[in-house]
Amino acid sequence: MRRIHPLQWLPSLLVLAAFILLWWLASHHQWVSKVFLPTPEATWFRLLEGVASGPLTEQTLQTVGRMVQGWLLACGVGVVLGAMIGISQNARAFLQPILEFIRPLPASAIIPLAISIFGLGPNMVLFVVAFGAMWPVLLATLHGFASLEPRLHEVSSALQLSAFDFVRKVVLPSAMPDVLAGMRLSMTVSLIIAVVGEMIASQPGLGQAILLAARSFRADELFAGIVLLGVIGFVANALLGAAENWLLRWQRT
Amino acid sequence: MSADPTPALQFEGVSIRLGGKEILSPTTLDIRQGEFVCIIGPSGCGKTTLLRAAAGFVQPSAGAVRRGQEIVKGPSREAAFVFQDYGRALLPWRTVAGNVSLALEAMGVPAAERPVRIDKVLQTVGLSAHADKFPLQLSGGMQQRAQIARCLAQEPSMMMMDEPFGALDAMTRESLQDELSRLVRDSGLTVLFVTHDLEEAIYLGDRVVALRSNPTPGKPSVAAVVDVNIPGPRSQLSTKEHPEYLRLRRELYHFLGHH
Amino acid sequence: MARVNLKSLRGAVVPVVLLAVLEWYARGPGKNSDALAPPTEAAASLVGAVGDGSLLQASFFTLGSAAAGLAVGFVLGVLLGTWLGLSARAGRWGFLTVEVMRPIPSVALIPLAMLVYGFGVRMEASVVAFAVFWPMLVLAQAAARQVDLRLLEVADALRLSPAARLFKIVLPAMVPRLFVALRLGVAIALVVAVTVEIAANPHGLGYAIMLAQQSLDPALMLAWLFWIAVLGYAVNAGALWVQSRVARAMGASV
Repeated sequence: MRRIHPLQWLPSLLVLAAFILLWWLASHHQWVSKVFLPTPEATWFRLLEGVASGPLTEQTLQTVGRMVQGWLLACGVGVVLGAMIGISQNARAFLQPILEFIRPLPASAIIPLAISIFGLGPNMVLFVVAFGAMWPVLLATLHGFASLEPRLHEVSSALQLSAFDFVRKVVLPSAMPDVLAGMRLSMTVSLIIAVVGEMIASQPGLGQAILLAARSFRADELFAGIVLLGVIGFVANALLGAAENWLLRWQRT
Repeated sequence: MSADPTPALQFEGVSIRLGGKEILSPTTLDIRQGEFVCIIGPSGCGKTTLLRAAAGFVQPSAGAVRRGQEIVKGPSREAAFVFQDYGRALLPWRTVAGNVSLALEAMGVPAAERPVRIDKVLQTVGLSAHADKFPLQLSGGMQQRAQIARCLAQEPSMMMMDEPFGALDAMTRESLQDELSRLVRDSGLTVLFVTHDLEEAIYLGDRVVALRSNPTPGKPSVAAVVDVNIPGPRSQLSTKEHPEYLRLRRELYHFLGHH
Repeated sequence: MARVNLKSLRGAVVPVVLLAVLEWYARGPGKNSDALAPPTEAAASLVGAVGDGSLLQASFFTLGSAAAGLAVGFVLGVLLGTWLGLSARAGRWGFLTVEVMRPIPSVALIPLAMLVYGFGVRMEASVVAFAVFWPMLVLAQAAARQVDLRLLEVADALRLSPAARLFKIVLPAMVPRLFVALRLGVAIALVVAVTVEIAANPHGLGYAIMLAQQSLDPALMLAWLFWIAVLGYAVNAGALWVQSRVARAMGASV
């Protein structure tokens, strides 16, 4: 990322402020019904109150907990499976077609099946989160392991690297960019499925919170929840992005 | 110069067919210990394949390649290989020192000994100041030197080089040629050097082997083998004006496919 | 000849084996399961759904809502993204707003869309549009920024008007990358549409599969699951085909 001088953020901040001002005007002058559009200050107060003394912190932690747990499971299984399949040409020949068929399937479509197996509970949500988040990281890892630069294979055999060292010191690091990108995508999927799962299974968390807020026509609570979900998405992506940049710092010329 | 009469490398009627096509016709050639042999020829003559067979990356369809007395069955640490596309042969996630270290790690050198040996080898190629840089931060010439450093760390008896300076600009190429010459002279390494640059071949080599174009079964690939008898150390200016240099250049010119 | 054919069948081995195992299990030890059914029964349910028109109806709803949302999200996203990409100043100014709005998961808007539109096409299409808008914006911005400088210099040398520059040089140069973005947008649109239906909207394929589960009809549920997978695969494959045709026609390496 280019280094952006702090002062250069100012116009961007002003534009954002302008949009918030627009929001303020729209809500106060009822350009859009108050049922749909709360005022910015109402949203802000509801947010503060919910975090300080209300259920929002607990709900956020629930959602984040589900998201992270499912993601860790998904990455663990996905990386191992992806590596095993990616490194073996035989395995790829047998498995790639069915993987390509499953790839476009919406993860949420598994929810009904999961409900049949687990019922409407936290395990169902965790299962679907892990299952849905597994595919991006599995497929990315597979690609990373399968697309090793052939030169590096030749270098490794010229150096007489043991098979174990070859995988550990050459194949795995070379697959890192793909694996990390897959993990970042998996995190996005985890958040989405966690929220949907909470909505459907009425599990405590932000997903359920915003659904209830909408049903009770409490727009300020709804918007507060949406803001928090945006924050979760932002923070998760920023953290993973920073980790990725640090791990792949050799890419920067 | 070693007095050992056993050839370092022997090609005994080696021919290679791939995908139904004759890539290299029967080739018989002996490389002496400590010799610097350059292989030239037009595109498609099989010179790179010959080199890869010497390194053990490719098995001959007929005939055998021998290193010392043993038939070459696969790659070995004895024969280091320097690729032309240095960018793809270096591990981009390791520093220069890290890349050199890979060779030592493969050899089982204990961690405590590695820094000293890495340092020595980097000094030989002149990269000591850049030990902690990543390949992408280096120029083409420096990357190629890093690859050569890693090859030297293998402590090979032989170095195969596949047009190593082909992707570099003229100035970098010339300085690397001189560095390589000096390095090889000091270490007594046997070198097999493939190039399409005739001047480079004569400048660097003790012998130049010219392969003919269009390998055909039955017809030997080797068209000519000439000794380079230019006296004294090589210099980019004076050697290239030497009459023997010019004579060899004229003699070998048409082997490159010029008409 | 025979060896070539055998090798290409390797990909079919695992699915066939899995289906056979499922068939055996669902007819034997798992006979009374609410979750699993024999593939043969699922196939029969699928045929039934075709026969009574529910397959076509549900598919049309999902694909239609997805397409409507994709159209809106893609066009708006590309237009805005192109502007932000071409004008460095606009790009800088809009940076924070985009970065703040972009991470909001589209599913978070489902309750809001429900509130505004109730249930139906508009609710679903609006969530799809939001989900598609941001990636299209980002990709279009990148594509606009990456238009070869050389081409822009040509535009200057020919003294083209801003409009001509946009339509004759910039947009055509962006087309291959825009088709790649479109392919991504298609994938996102379908996934989000199905997700909205599963979560809330009582229409379309997502609702059909939820309904099958609630009716404790595993054969029908698996039939819908299979059909959603097939549709997703077909739509994505179609988008890929279009994208590669365009890329080849324009001689691009992207």
